[in-house]
Amino acid sequence: MLLDDKLFDKFGVEYEPNDIIFCEFEPGNDFYFIQSGRVEIVKIINNREKTLDILGAGDVFGEMAILEEEPRSASAIAIEHVKLLRFRRENFDALLQGNPQLAYKLLVIFSKRIYDAKRRLMILLLDDPQLKIMDVMNMLAEQDPHLDVQEPVTLRVTMQEIANWAGMQINDVQKLLAHLNKLGKIELFNDRVIVRNIRDFQRMVNSRRKSMYA
Amino acid sequence: MSNGSSSQGINTRTYKSGSIVYFENDKSECIYILKSGRIILTSQKLETGEEVKEEVRPGEFFGVKSALGRYPREETAQVLKDSVVLVLTLADFERLILKNVNIVLKMLRIFSNQLRRIGRAVREVLGETSTINPEEELFKIGEYYYRAGRFNQARYAYNKYLDYYPNAKYSDLATKRIREIDSGQAESNIAPQPVMRKEVVSHTEELKDFTLDDDINTVPKKESVAQEMDDFFGTEDANNPDFDIFSEDEKSEDISSMFYSAMSMYSQSEYEGALKLYKQIVNQKSLKNDAENILFQKAHFEIGRTYFKMGQYNDAIEAFSLLMKKFPQSALNVNALYHLAMIYEVKKQFDKSKAYYQKVISLAAKEEIGKQAQRRLKNIESH
Repeated sequence: MLLDDKLFDKFGVEYEPNDIIFCEFEPGNDFYFIQSGRVEIVKIINNREKTLDILGAGDVFGEMAILEEEPRSASAIAIEHVKLLRFRRENFDALLQGNPQLAYKLLVIFSKRIYDAKRRLMILLLDDPQLKIMDVMNMLAEQDPHLDVQEPVTLRVTMQEIANWAGMQINDVQKLLAHLNKLGKIELFNDRVIVRNIRDFQRMVNSRRKSMYA
Repeated sequence: MSNGSSSQGINTRTYKSGSIVYFENDKSECIYILKSGRIILTSQKLETGEEVKEEVRPGEFFGVKSALGRYPREETAQVLKDSVVLVLTLADFERLILKNVNIVLKMLRIFSNQLRRIGRAVREVLGETSTINPEEELFKIGEYYYRAGRFNQARYAYNKYLDYYPNAKYSDLATKRIREIDSGQAESNIAPQPVMRKEVVSHTEELKDFTLDDDINTVPKKESVAQEMDDFFGTEDANNPDFDIFSEDEKSEDISSMFYSAMSMYSQSEYEGALKLYKQIVNQKSLKNDAENILFQKAHFEIGRTYFKMGQYNDAIEAFSLLMKKFPQSALNVNALYHLAMIYEVKKQFDKSKAYYQKVISLAAKEEIGKQAQRRLKNIESH
């Protein structure tokens, strides 16, 4: 998607490598569209910087600021020289009127975000820690539509990420994963988990979900 | 929302009353506009499983979010009266709304409200409503980068802190840090990397009321394979004897694999098989550890749930009663009481049912199960 050059005169900003564009916990008012260069989205988790995403030309970030002035949930740092368009909440409507493509793109991003948030809520509402963990794996498997669920599936995820998704302490997650590992249901690696029979996990979670408030 | 005249070339379909446009969980990239007739969307509330019905008005879109986000349908679209529907592909939809940005703005507003509502529900479940203090957290980001020797980034965070909180708890310290960075003193404080623990400690000691929690004293480093391993296997508790609860113990593995198989059978409606395994667990004479004890308790509960599912209500009552008698402190008891209430509701013994729902409410008013009990109680009382 290409945006009008005239926009850059009005909204353009540039950053040098390693510049912070915005910082985690800073109140957010702006959202950004990348014209050129790459931007790293990072979050400090347990005193360690984690890369959540690397974005490039055509990507949008910081769009949650459109909704409300909440603290940023992650930091954005320029990887190389980047050119961005910076938009404020106040001129959001005017901007979108002039750029229907951008509006459409945001609509797609929001649709995905709503689903992701709902899916996470479904995990959190389960009443059994073991099932929560299984459902995190179900969710990860759903994200890859080409996955063959008849076969063992490989999910790229760390224990910390599973703990975050499930809203649990990492120690508890560790025990429960060790348990599933011991039973031969999963195989643990440092950056991935192999689930032998993901359909079994799906069935167990679905049946519990149905009978939770029968 | 009106579709105007731009619908040329777009597929029109007629649906008979009672037919279904799509089912929940279907995958499709079609977006619909109701031209005439009546269509109702039925979904379940995530928190309670309650049915939510929403009518589509003529001229309105439906099926938009799941098509755009490429995820399964979250609702079933049922036709209440013979209807005419425009069927759009993603490309049609894009073309149509690019000519009519006001529709997008309207949708964005609806979507953002939904997102906000779900976000609130997530935070509520996580109990995060008031625990995070963005002021302190912003300062901590500065501290993180300062200690990592990434002074430009630290300066940014400290400056933002001072912009937003000029007279707050860490304002003086943030000012001091910026001065240290600008004078080059920070470099000698922090370098050479990696910093020895002691040095960093001494340098936080001057902050008397420095109450930032977790290991602020450890020096952040770039990711390495070893750290990734730590991430996966956790760092703190590798020596904790608890860690071994599931290993090196055949008995324990028997119980946990029996429990897993039972759960799996239950989920495939093989209730007899599940029941047999749960009963085997309950009949174990000796329990080795906490993990076994938890599964032992759970098995008592699951026997009740399985009987409930099979419609053998008296057996279910007996199982739940046994659980509560044997483990009066068990966290499962609220759910057992809830099931007892449901059983008596099915058996039309409403006084007993109400008493059990009330008990659930008194024990877990704020939790989802308590709220659900409240609803069912109201439902009984209104009939």
